[in-house]
This record gives sequence, structure tokens and C-alpha cells, in this order.
Amino acid sequence: MKTLAHVRITPTDTSVNGATVSSASLAGLYREFAGDYPKFFKMDSLCKLGFMAAELCLKNLSADEKENTAVILFNRNGSLVTDRNYQKTIESDNYFPSPALFVYTLANIVTGEIAIRHKIYGETSFYVLDSRDETLMDEIVSDTLLTSSPRYILTGFVEYENEQNYIADIKLVTK
Amino acid sequence: MDNLILQLKNQIIEVLNLEDMTADDIATDAPLFGEGLGLDSIDALELIVLLEREYGIKLSNPAEGKQIFSSVASIADFVSKNRKK
Repeated sequence: MKTLAHVRITPTDTSVNGATVSSASLAGLYREFAGDYPKFFKMDSLCKLGFMAAELCLKNLSADEKENTAVILFNRNGSLVTDRNYQKTIESDNYFPSPALFVYTLANIVTGEIAIRHKIYGETSFYVLDSRDETLMDEIVSDTLLTSSPRYILTGFVEYENEQNYIADIKLVTK
Repeated sequence: MDNLILQLKNQIIEVLNLEDMTADDIATDAPLFGEGLGLDSIDALELIVLLEREYGIKLSNPAEGKQIFSSVASIADFVSKNRKK
């Protein structure tokens, strides 16, 4: 398995292929490296994180190559932050469920947002693991490359807990 | 009515996370869906919740929604005539 690009985003540092490119927040990264997709601001934080990692990781891939790409992401907490935010809208006497929050109460929405943005038609999967098990993650990705049609896979770990604790560690791989 | 229009614009910006926009950026008579602000079906649901939560208005006929949510002006007109709070 060959890595074509690697992006790592944390609250204090964003790097591409090992070189720091920014220290901005997620909204700052959007303004710096995207800026043409207002739907970004409607996404929950997990989606924003995955979206920006994908922006940076896929920027050298052509439209045709993107069509032949799969997205396989992992984390430990699923969409827990948004699940809790949504729960707050339904648990009190002030019962006003938020549709905009509800649509993000599934972690695999991240892969969908990325696929929509980049017109990716390959497989998309989001695995919620007990721990960040790199061996298991590599096995899943390798197996997909061997048994499915996509030539490229955007894959990695995307976890958002709060503004001070988040990480996207994403790579673009091929056979 | 001007105060209600301004209030609605600010509430729309807040509930729909229209970051980088101010009330001045939303034309009172401009379409909210399709062209204009380019809102989608989830945004429409969020606006329905906004009317109920902030103004006590429960839309009894969903078919009315298309006309009511066509612009900020039409929402303001509907709210001013039907608000319970």
C-alpha cells in the first residue's frame, strides 16, 4: 500500500505530508484552503474536521481519479458530540428537536459530505472502533484495495471531542 | 415591522449557521430557497421549528410553507398576523 498524501489536523497544527501549513482553527482552515462551500458552516464539528482533511488530502487528485476513490474513516466516539447537542433539544420541557443537528447524529455523514463535495462514487464506510487500532485499520483498507474496484482510498482517523481536543489523521493510499 | 424583519434575519442567520453573513446581506424580498440564500429542505424544517419556538406558531398546513418561506418579507408578514408570543 502506497501513501500518496498525508494530512494531520489538530487544534494547534495542520500539516500536509509532514510540513506545517497552518495553525488556524477549522473555520480558519476553511477560509484559507476552501472558501467556496458555504455548506461547511452548517456541518457539525466532526464533519468540518473530516471535510478540511479531505480538502487538503485530495487537492492533487483529478476529477476522474476522485471518481475511482473510496472513503474509509475511523474513530472511537462516533458522532457523540452532536448526539449530545441534539439530546439537549429533546430532553427538556422546551422540546424543540433541531433537524439541522439531527442529520449529523451519524458519524458516517462525514464520508457522505466528503463524497458529495468531491463527487466520489466509490465505497464509503465509517468504522467506530474500541480504540485507534492501526493494524485493524490497515487490514480493512488493504482488504478493500484488494477486493474492490476503487484505485484510491481516502482513509484515516477522525475524532472530535471539543475545540481543544480533535484530530484528523488522514491519508490517500493506493495499491 | 422593520424590527420584526431585522429580528427574523438575525434569527435565520443564527439557526442556519450562515456564518460570515449579517442581516444587511439578506435582502428582505429575495428568495430564500433555490437562488438567493440557497437554503435546502433541512433549513426549511429548522425555520418551522424557529417559528414555533420563538413565536408560538405551529404550521397546520405544510403546503403553506412554500409561500410563507419564500422571503423574509413573507415570513414577517405571516408572523405578524399569527404570532402567539
